[in-house]
Amino acid sequence: MAGLQEYKCPCCGGAIAFDSTLQKMKCPFCDTEFEMETLAEYDSQLQNEQADDMEWENSAGDTWQEGETEGLRTFACRSCGGEIVGDESTAATSCPFCGNPVVMMGQFSGALKPDYVIPFKLDKKAAKAALMKHYSGKRLLPRVFQDQNHIDEIKGIYVPFWLFDAEVDADIRYKATRVRSWSDSSYNYTETSCFAVTRGGSIGFNHVPVDGSTKMADDLMESIEPFDFSEAVDFQTAYLAGYLADKYDVDAGESMERANERVRKSTADAFAATVQGYTTVETQSSSVRLHNGTAKYALYPVWLLNTTWNGQRYTFAMNGQTGKFVGDLPVDKGAYRKWLFGLTGGISAAIFAATYLLWLL
Amino acid sequence: MKKKLYVAFFALLLCIAMTLPAFAAESLPRLVDDADLLSDSEEEVLLDKLDDISSIQGMDVVIVTVDSTGDWSTMEYADDFYDYNGYAEDGILLLVSMEERDWCISTAGYGITAFTDAGQKYLAEQFLEYLTDGDYANAFDIFADQCDDFITQAKTGQPYDSGSLPKKPFLILSNLLIALGGGIILAFLITGSMKSRMKTVRMQPEAASYMVPGSMQVSRSHEMFLYKNVDRTAKQEKGSSTHTSSSGNTHGGSGGKF
Repeated sequence: MAGLQEYKCPCCGGAIAFDSTLQKMKCPFCDTEFEMETLAEYDSQLQNEQADDMEWENSAGDTWQEGETEGLRTFACRSCGGEIVGDESTAATSCPFCGNPVVMMGQFSGALKPDYVIPFKLDKKAAKAALMKHYSGKRLLPRVFQDQNHIDEIKGIYVPFWLFDAEVDADIRYKATRVRSWSDSSYNYTETSCFAVTRGGSIGFNHVPVDGSTKMADDLMESIEPFDFSEAVDFQTAYLAGYLADKYDVDAGESMERANERVRKSTADAFAATVQGYTTVETQSSSVRLHNGTAKYALYPVWLLNTTWNGQRYTFAMNGQTGKFVGDLPVDKGAYRKWLFGLTGGISAAIFAATYLLWLL
Repeated sequence: MKKKLYVAFFALLLCIAMTLPAFAAESLPRLVDDADLLSDSEEEVLLDKLDDISSIQGMDVVIVTVDSTGDWSTMEYADDFYDYNGYAEDGILLLVSMEERDWCISTAGYGITAFTDAGQKYLAEQFLEYLTDGDYANAFDIFADQCDDFITQAKTGQPYDSGSLPKKPFLILSNLLIALGGGIILAFLITGSMKSRMKTVRMQPEAASYMVPGSMQVSRSHEMFLYKNVDRTAKQEKGSSTHTSSSGNTHGGSGGKF
């Protein structure tokens, strides 16, 4: 494994990070800005330097029990020499002692190098504002939740995603009915005609993402979709400076089934939408054949926020590109009961009054 | 003693009726309680009421109770009783036969127009409950009141019929329960949607946002007709159905068990 990468400002020597507002690298100390293109070169130069500077060490000593250090990696910070502890999938973090952002280059070498990255477009402030907006308009949110809870932790993370392309051939058979009604002087007639409808064709899907990290909850990651792939750029480690990043720990083969499942459902929906002009449509048989292309490896930007309330942990996630914000909130049981009883009373009274008025007419 | 005389008289009439269809006789009272279901005082009150209604409305409203209708069907018995006992051309007769536990309504003349099939069904619903319970005085009283109401309504040119039956009383308790039930269901739906807004983390079932625009090609599209069914339901009929009695007169009517 290669060592740590820290981006030093060529002007003042401070540690520089990616600025999501400028979409450039910026030195927080002297405010110098750097184009990403410049850094791509800078990056490769630094990697060359890196070759004869293998400074990481594994500090697992005899005092550790066997297996305890499995999954743990320690690195020495190149700025202050402090020890940075990460797990085996940590790819970018910051030094706990001097706060400088560091990137573990080894996590991205060889086959581990991501194909694409969508850089962060929204910053920490936007994430905090989105959380406040997430709280607003929620009538069942306990009043004290918003006041009492504070954000324990707010992290910008590049989450590893597998992207799948799929060409789909489908042949689907439906049973459809059409109902026609008419009446004469003494009878009402209902005619139900039954048809066998078939649809066949092809459809393509691009960049269907599947969360490649076991640390991120799959439902949380799917909830902040979709990501707009047109804004993805070729991967450069410089984008990770200032954020956290993980490398994948679920391989493409395992992730493919999830992508296919979603593609299959969308294919069925898309073809069913073409069966129109019937009263009922029921799928009788369906054959969906997928031809997967090569899986691509990308890092997508996610803001993660943690809060604790009443001893329970609440995790929120925001799409670092689009700003879509999700996270389950606690339900105030008292408020729920109040609404339930209040609405029951109000609606019942309205229905009763309406039936009485109808009777009077 | 008086009642036996009626029976004898009626039997005699029926015999003559076979040979002399156009027989006219002096009218019998509008209440003939041969099955002796009412006390004398009840009979007196009811008869007064029937006479009042009949003279005001210009139609005979008659109630007859018998132990048995013998070999005749209740409908034939009711029709003939009305035809051969000198009642007015227009009228309605309620016959109750105790042995068979049958009730039967026979209408004649304008009575056929005033008491439609749907109207008679409604009318029977009003008194049948009391008849079943053996509360005969009450049942007949309701019958008389309803007849009065029906005839008054018919005179406006729009007799009670399916779709225009008299209003049933507003049932506060059952309506309240229905309203409460509806209120609870709707309240659960609304609070359920409020609750669902608190949960925003869920798996995405499909991948529609990653579909390549314009990539969908439907190359095979086919529709094959398999079969068709036609269901036919009769419309609820309006107006009055009629039949012809032994005298050749036209009657409307309905009946049943109680």
